[in-house]
Amino acid sequence: MKKVLALGLALVLVLSLAACGGKKAEAEANPQPKVTDNADEVSDNMTSSDGKYEVAFVTDVGQLKDKSFNQGTYDGVKLYANNNGLSYKYYQPANGDQATDDDRYDAMKSACENGAKVVVAAGFMQGSALERAAKDYPDTKFVFIDGWGMGLDNVVGIAFNEHECGYLAGYAVVKEGYEKLGFCGGGGGNNPACCRYGYGFVQGANAAAAEMGKQIDINYTWLYGASFSASPEMQTLANGWYETGTEVIFSAGGSIFQSITAAAAANDKFVVGVDTDQSYESDTVITSALKGVKEAASWAIGKAYDGTWASLNGFVSLGAADGATGLPEATWSLKNYSVDEYKAQLADIVSGKLQISSDVLENDAILSVNFSNATVNYVA
Amino acid sequence: MTFLIQQTLIYGVPLLIVALAGVFAERSGIINLALEGIMVFGAFIGVLFVRIMQTSAGFEALKSAGDWMALQGLELLAMLAAAVCGAIFSLLLSFASINLRADQTIGGTALNLLAPALVLFFIRIIANQNTLQMASGDSASWFMIKKTTLGFDRDADLGFFGNTFLHKVYLATYVCIILFIVLSVILYKTRFGLRLRSCGENPQAANSLGINVQKMRYIGTTISGALAGMGGFVYALTTANCASTGDVAGFGFLAIAVMIFGNWKPLNIAGASLLFGLFKCIAAAYSSIDINGDGVYALANLGISSHFYRLLPYLITLLVLAFTSKSSRAPKAEGIPYDKSMR
Repeated sequence: MKKVLALGLALVLVLSLAACGGKKAEAEANPQPKVTDNADEVSDNMTSSDGKYEVAFVTDVGQLKDKSFNQGTYDGVKLYANNNGLSYKYYQPANGDQATDDDRYDAMKSACENGAKVVVAAGFMQGSALERAAKDYPDTKFVFIDGWGMGLDNVVGIAFNEHECGYLAGYAVVKEGYEKLGFCGGGGGNNPACCRYGYGFVQGANAAAAEMGKQIDINYTWLYGASFSASPEMQTLANGWYETGTEVIFSAGGSIFQSITAAAAANDKFVVGVDTDQSYESDTVITSALKGVKEAASWAIGKAYDGTWASLNGFVSLGAADGATGLPEATWSLKNYSVDEYKAQLADIVSGKLQISSDVLENDAILSVNFSNATVNYVA
Repeated sequence: MTFLIQQTLIYGVPLLIVALAGVFAERSGIINLALEGIMVFGAFIGVLFVRIMQTSAGFEALKSAGDWMALQGLELLAMLAAAVCGAIFSLLLSFASINLRADQTIGGTALNLLAPALVLFFIRIIANQNTLQMASGDSASWFMIKKTTLGFDRDADLGFFGNTFLHKVYLATYVCIILFIVLSVILYKTRFGLRLRSCGENPQAANSLGINVQKMRYIGTTISGALAGMGGFVYALTTANCASTGDVAGFGFLAIAVMIFGNWKPLNIAGASLLFGLFKCIAAAYSSIDINGDGVYALANLGISSHFYRLLPYLITLLVLAFTSKSSRAPKAEGIPYDKSMR
């Protein structure tokens, strides 16, 4: 029996060595950074010679590689740092989905102590931790993605007009011919960005249905998305919706995308991606509500280095007019709604001809709005 | 109805097979509290295996060529890998509790603490985050059996049984059910099964008749580890989109509850795990369950708070345990290290 045990332990040992070995080989494969615009070519971990990391990224709740918000923002950070020869590093606040303000502050603090000159923090929940860190480290510049202005010289908040791309996505899928839609949002119903996505999506779907003179149904929920992570419950819920006729679900919440695409693939139905072009992640994605987190992160870090930081006055709001919201044209897969129609729609938003409400409707507040051609079925 | 049955099976089958894992260990006299930890470890190994094979063994090409037999083979191999590593992992428990005669509850708890930490450590190294996913695609498009995989038309109607049991199902589910039946028969109808069970009831008597108690306990716990490891991967495959996170949502502990609830008997366990699976499914999808197919979602129309439905699986477990625990009878010698001199 001892022999069997020894064999078992030896196997565990070999396994761990193999895992470490693979890792080392990977690091040696990309020794020298080269200028690129493909974030996948840039390693997530880099080792700087002096142990200092100039550009830091602090993640939101959820995984770094969520194929969405965190990953998109970090891609922008990596690209800027890599292409300008700067050292970079990411920090995940401790305790995962249950991270507290202290955990986030600690992550920012270790970023600053590791020599960060610019800290990019993603997600509105980082607000109070970021304010504290910005006051404690006045020489470090902070970029607050999905954030707001704080009146501090070293903080720039960047907000997006999520209602615009949500609207465009909702409009597009209804024009494509779908009549039963779903919306699964992250953040538990009070994340401003997700609320704008949801309300925008319903507005767009309703507008398209009104033009086409038909009635559509929208299932709308914040259930199981609070922590932005995949779960069996989310998958079952989406399965249930698809099973009962829902054709497209807008997945607006980081890694819940995993659960929803799993359900969509099982039922041969479709998904609308969020934040980044997610059609690369699953065949079920027909379009994505883009917001340019990657470009915005690179752009804001650039402002910190080229001396024009102060001109931002601490806050910028990016939308269709800045090219920061929209749908992915390069991977267009819709047949009954063309890129040209989309471009015309986008131009109307840019020119202000088309007004979209940017109200943040938390929880079930969507029910207080009357939609002429859409029935919202709020699932709680 | 079809939806309800399929989802019930998806939640129920991992519980079923892991509860049987518990039975094998306890019938041989070892309390296997480490089921949760072994499941976590098995899920990790299975997902890692799928991931490695996807990238290195040309399965991408087979997938795009539509060779679904090869993909089902990959699924079976991953289950096997998870089972083997689960068995190896459980040897730690066997060694501590059989050779060293340590307290089995503490040994099991130690494994439960060790597994998520170890798994997350490796996932961090491999994937740079807390989740290990498939290298590409999702579990449904790779491993799920659908009408179209079997060569039927997408709109073909296979009748109630066909639609329920041949469409949108995983091979793993059926493998687990078959294994469950075969192993139950072995445990109750063969000489080996009788010997194994005797070691959990009266090991001194068994030993006096020439049965090697230590060997039997090793076998029982190893089978238990293999089944739990496999169950962990099946859980990850069917409910978590083939991702490992160092967590199986407490299914290992639920399986222990199901085992006690089922009074250490296979038929009762099957009933208990399906009951639990049913309520778990109702909790997540009550708003879109159409029981008799008339387009009316009766449960959603009742107007009961969704929290009540989410409470149900646990409430039912508590209630049934409260009413059945009087007649429940654990193997007599479980948890007691075997000592020859106690004869």
